[in-house]
Amino acid sequence: METLNLVAQGFGVALQPINLLHCFIGVFIGTLVGVLPGIGPVSAMSLLLPVTLAGTPESGIIMMAGIYYGAMYGGSTTSILVNIPGEAASVVTCIDGHQMAKQGRAGPALGISALGSFIAGTFAIILLMLIAPRLAEIAIAFGPAEYFSLMVLGLVMLTFLTQGSMAKALLMACLGLVLGLVGLDSINAQPRLTFGSIHFIDGIGIVPLVMGLFGVAEVLYNTEQSLKREVVSANISNMFPNKDDWKRSAGPIGRGTVLGFFLGVLPGGGAVVSTFASYALEKRLSSYPERFGKGVIEGVAGPEAANNAAAGGAFIPLMTLGIPPNVVMALLLGAFIIHGLQPGPLMIAQNPKLFWGIIASMYIGNLMLLVLNLPLIGMWVRLLKLPYNVLFPLILLFTIIGVYASGNNVFDIYVMIFFGITGYFMRKFGFEPAPLVLAFVLGPLLENNLRKALILSQGDLATFLQRPISAACLIIAVGLLLSPMLPTIRKKREVVALDSEAS
Amino acid sequence: MLSSKLLRGVLVALSLAPAAAVAQDFPTRPITFIVPWAAGGATDITIRALADAASKHLGQPIVVENKAGGGGTVGGATMAASAKPDGYTIAQIPISIFRYPIMQGATYDPVKDFTYIANIAGYVFAAYCSAESKLGNWKDVIEYAKTNPGKLTYASPGHGTSPNIGMELMAAASGVKFTEVPFKSTNEVNLAVAGNHTLCGATGLDAKPLAEAGRLKFVNVWTAEPNAKLPGVPTLKQLGYPYVFDSPWGVAGPKGMDPKVVAKLQDAFKKAMDDKTFKDALDKYDMIPNWMDAATYTKFVADYMVAERESLTKLGLAKK
Repeated sequence: METLNLVAQGFGVALQPINLLHCFIGVFIGTLVGVLPGIGPVSAMSLLLPVTLAGTPESGIIMMAGIYYGAMYGGSTTSILVNIPGEAASVVTCIDGHQMAKQGRAGPALGISALGSFIAGTFAIILLMLIAPRLAEIAIAFGPAEYFSLMVLGLVMLTFLTQGSMAKALLMACLGLVLGLVGLDSINAQPRLTFGSIHFIDGIGIVPLVMGLFGVAEVLYNTEQSLKREVVSANISNMFPNKDDWKRSAGPIGRGTVLGFFLGVLPGGGAVVSTFASYALEKRLSSYPERFGKGVIEGVAGPEAANNAAAGGAFIPLMTLGIPPNVVMALLLGAFIIHGLQPGPLMIAQNPKLFWGIIASMYIGNLMLLVLNLPLIGMWVRLLKLPYNVLFPLILLFTIIGVYASGNNVFDIYVMIFFGITGYFMRKFGFEPAPLVLAFVLGPLLENNLRKALILSQGDLATFLQRPISAACLIIAVGLLLSPMLPTIRKKREVVALDSEAS
Repeated sequence: MLSSKLLRGVLVALSLAPAAAVAQDFPTRPITFIVPWAAGGATDITIRALADAASKHLGQPIVVENKAGGGGTVGGATMAASAKPDGYTIAQIPISIFRYPIMQGATYDPVKDFTYIANIAGYVFAAYCSAESKLGNWKDVIEYAKTNPGKLTYASPGHGTSPNIGMELMAAASGVKFTEVPFKSTNEVNLAVAGNHTLCGATGLDAKPLAEAGRLKFVNVWTAEPNAKLPGVPTLKQLGYPYVFDSPWGVAGPKGMDPKVVAKLQDAFKKAMDDKTFKDALDKYDMIPNWMDAATYTKFVADYMVAERESLTKLGLAKK
């Protein structure tokens, strides 16, 4: 009953005209960047982070969140019609979605991905609403030792679940750790790796780092490829899937939702992994696995539901513990902090309006997205024909303005350009930027909590094993690290990795 | 040759001529107020209210420019290095401007490189203990530290911050040792104490809702006067310590400003102190007015630098 009351309060916040507007702007931009190949939600969010400063924290964060889950919708459109993933979480949708489009069934493919996304998104919000406040109450028992062990688990899981080479992912994570060390040591307040420059005293900013590695690098990388675009726009008049489509999609949507939500909650999991997992699961459960890849609707419905549910699940560790499970959430954490808010166990209790307002806005945002993606699909299709020689310079211009605006600091622009060029080469040689950014954010937290835990235990390392939550996290982490040595699991992991490379 | 000499002469004459009139007419164009924090934070919002109020008395807008970085020192350092001392560029001077040169070294000298205009306000700090710790007042805290050496843990919002330095100076004065656990924000400190991960904590008044919920208890407040938001909580003076810690912040320009210009700015800020929006902002963000005119502030800085170097050296925080 109390929850209902709070939800009502949340709708009161979300339905304020200014917040409705921000919610709409968020999901609209989200769909836009989702549709456009080359830039994803991370670039868009870091670009717009400074813009949110003008308004209240509610409206700013409602908008940022809208961009994230909006991009999950938009990405599928490009995948299905052009066979280029609009953003990373829609890679799998290309496989069967584009085949369906070629067979003249683009309408149902788009329809099921929008409706599946809606169902999964809504379900994820309900789970988030039920779980997050409970978890926040427990989370107050999390001291430095527990945070440390949880983050160790997160980092291990990140490298474990990442696609492609584990060695490369670990290397990137190490680089991220070192970059995260720059600035004042959080315990002694002594400068580290600043090379005597005042610009490094506060460390490297997350906005220029992320905008460089994702935004600038993405543009540089894309200019080099001649993207062949054959937009299938023939028959998208009938968007609604027929009875048979629904019957075949119901299971995949249900399973995709649950799978996506829980992979989203786990640190390092997230939307991309959940889509591959859902696709693999549906293929295995299907009575006609050989038809996967040739245009079956299950191959669209499952992964699309999964990535939207994961987007919802990812909010849980951020809102309750203040730990971002993926890069997008790390950026959102930045947005909270810029507005003077510290996500963590106290946030839901201290700022109920903010928390429930964001939740309520997500219901509303999901409805808006349904409208944006079903009747207005033609507009997005036309957008796909915009030439890149117009689009890419514009994006570069916006990143430079955005980075400067975030701190009025020219030095940040140099930092962004540096990481843009670095990110370009990383991409060329198959190094993923995500482990770097996550280690960059989690590394300092990890170190800080390790040292605090040791101060509290007066230097006794046993504290990590004496405390049950901490011990459990460490044991799972060790298990994950050892598991690649077991042949069966290694094989499975390679299959997932290969799948992603094949597309 | 001749013409360039002539030109230079004309330029010098032109640049000198208005200089004499400047102090009379000041200000004739908008003033830039450098805020060394990101836009939207508590200090930023408070300063914007102050700037708005002061501009009414100056007859020219004061434009706030956020230049965050270096723990709040980048703004002042940049101004000291590059701005003209004409009164059109001023900056907020947070406590870190004085502390960084001692702790890490800096490109400027706080005593010589600024013209101090006015001190404006300070922050309210306080110490509190978790409910489970059973430490109900400050005497309990000192007793506990005496009987359990090294076991009295407290959370601070960062090493070298005012709450950290205050706690250590009190411990030294009482002849006990506390164990500091540095966190990164006020919120984390509150959480550590609420969850009884540390016995005590020291930051601002943000923990009040937690105190009302019975999870922790305030044991002292560090301002000169008792605080209305913490009824019955003793000040450090009432507890017998000769200390007031409020991290005063003020306004300064680059070195060498015309005293008449300084006086005009000082008077405008003095009047702005009575502005309602500004007063509300101070109250909302747990700051207290702490007015010092230009002369008092300048002397205060010189004395403060000596005292601060002494405390920081004693606590092992000074740069070797």
